[in-house]
Amino acid sequence: MSDWIKWTAPAAAAVSITSAAHAVQYLSIPEAQKLAFPSASSFAEIQPGRVWKAQAGGRVVGLFVFDRVIGKHLYIDYAVALDPSGRILRIDILQYRESYGGEIRGPSWLAQFKGKTRGSSLEFNKDIRNISGATLSSMHITEGVKRVLAAYGSAIR
Amino acid sequence: MAAQSDSLRRARPLLGTFVEIDVAGAARDAMETAVEAAFRAIAQVHRLMSFHDPASDVSRLNREASTRAVTVDDWTFQVLATTGDLHRRSNGLFDVSIAPALQRLGLLPGQTDDRRRAPEETPMADGIELLARNRIRFKRPDIKIDLGGIAKGFAVDRAVDVLRRCGMSHGIVNAGGDLAAFGSTPASIHLRDPRDPGRILCQVAVKDEALASTSGSFDPVRSSQAADCAIIDPRSRQPARQLAGATVRAPSCMIADALTKLVMIDPPSAASLLAQARASALIVSADGEVNASREWERARAA
Repeated sequence: MSDWIKWTAPAAAAVSITSAAHAVQYLSIPEAQKLAFPSASSFAEIQPGRVWKAQAGGRVVGLFVFDRVIGKHLYIDYAVALDPSGRILRIDILQYRESYGGEIRGPSWLAQFKGKTRGSSLEFNKDIRNISGATLSSMHITEGVKRVLAAYGSAIR
Repeated sequence: MAAQSDSLRRARPLLGTFVEIDVAGAARDAMETAVEAAFRAIAQVHRLMSFHDPASDVSRLNREASTRAVTVDDWTFQVLATTGDLHRRSNGLFDVSIAPALQRLGLLPGQTDDRRRAPEETPMADGIELLARNRIRFKRPDIKIDLGGIAKGFAVDRAVDVLRRCGMSHGIVNAGGDLAAFGSTPASIHLRDPRDPGRILCQVAVKDEALASTSGSFDPVRSSQAADCAIIDPRSRQPARQLAGATVRAPSCMIADALTKLVMIDPPSAASLLAQARASALIVSADGEVNASREWERARAA
């Protein structure tokens, strides 16, 4: 292993950065709706906080479904846009929060997001914008999208 | 909200992970259009190279290429040219046909109690023939390929191409840790500690280059622990276990992605491959020791 040299962490990094906890707000629900259905003039809420019918001049152009994955250390809001025949137009991640050292499902962890739309909590390391490391699985989103399709994938009447 | 910002950040689930694209320094509409086009390029790589999608080039090759030459997309052809080259340079350690072969034989861990009954030889030639006009033929009937070890990096490179062609002056494309950054200011990237993905090992500055990491895959929805890594050492036909994780920086993300696999399988022989590719690496061994290639340390000092 003579081509490899022993590496020691820079002292500054070891002190200032220890947890990978970070949060990103990508899109609000209205922003994601507009991106998915640029032609839509209105979004009729048909299930509160969850499903909207996108309409353009009285015509239905698709369905916008908001969903959330909450796991041990991860909390993701995402949206699935479906065309009128129930096919997926796009899937956007709206919000991503990763945290350790406590269960994300805990009431105190969740309480800090009540009424907040943008990630600004002390719990998160704002320096972290990009991470490389173990590949994150997005399997739970795939499973969530399957559920969304099963519920809303049939043609919109 | 955020309409004032001169940067734009979007994420989508693609390639089995979260793909994030970050651009800056252009008009909002232009950035939105560029990011959309970049995601389309990644989705296209996903469609062409998915092992599970029966309509992908990879599935078509796995079904038909051992009986006749199969025409594939330019992109698939390019990736197979690179995998063939890496296979030769690594004396067979980089092998896109090993994982499916083991899967079919039930030799991947957890699937059988007799892992010894593997086929006799690991052929040195990868058995994948590249013909004129984007045609591919497999030389043996038992060949099946999985481009999972390189397609993600290739997809990142294609997305970066699109962003540049759309006139973006700054951008980062991060496909679950395989990333590339371009622009005048370096992007700061935090590296997870492969022994504990909830923690950060260090920070690196990346500019006009790529960074890819490998360790066990990791799902924070379920646990803070990374799973056993899925890279198979063709010599032992077992998952590579010497290292807990590796990070490679290289001029392209495809090469960075592929080299992480070789570094995981055999760090000593990977050192010269890194040098040939103008790449460098940081490795964390299973027992916790962290080592860097000389170039990695030089880049840090610079």
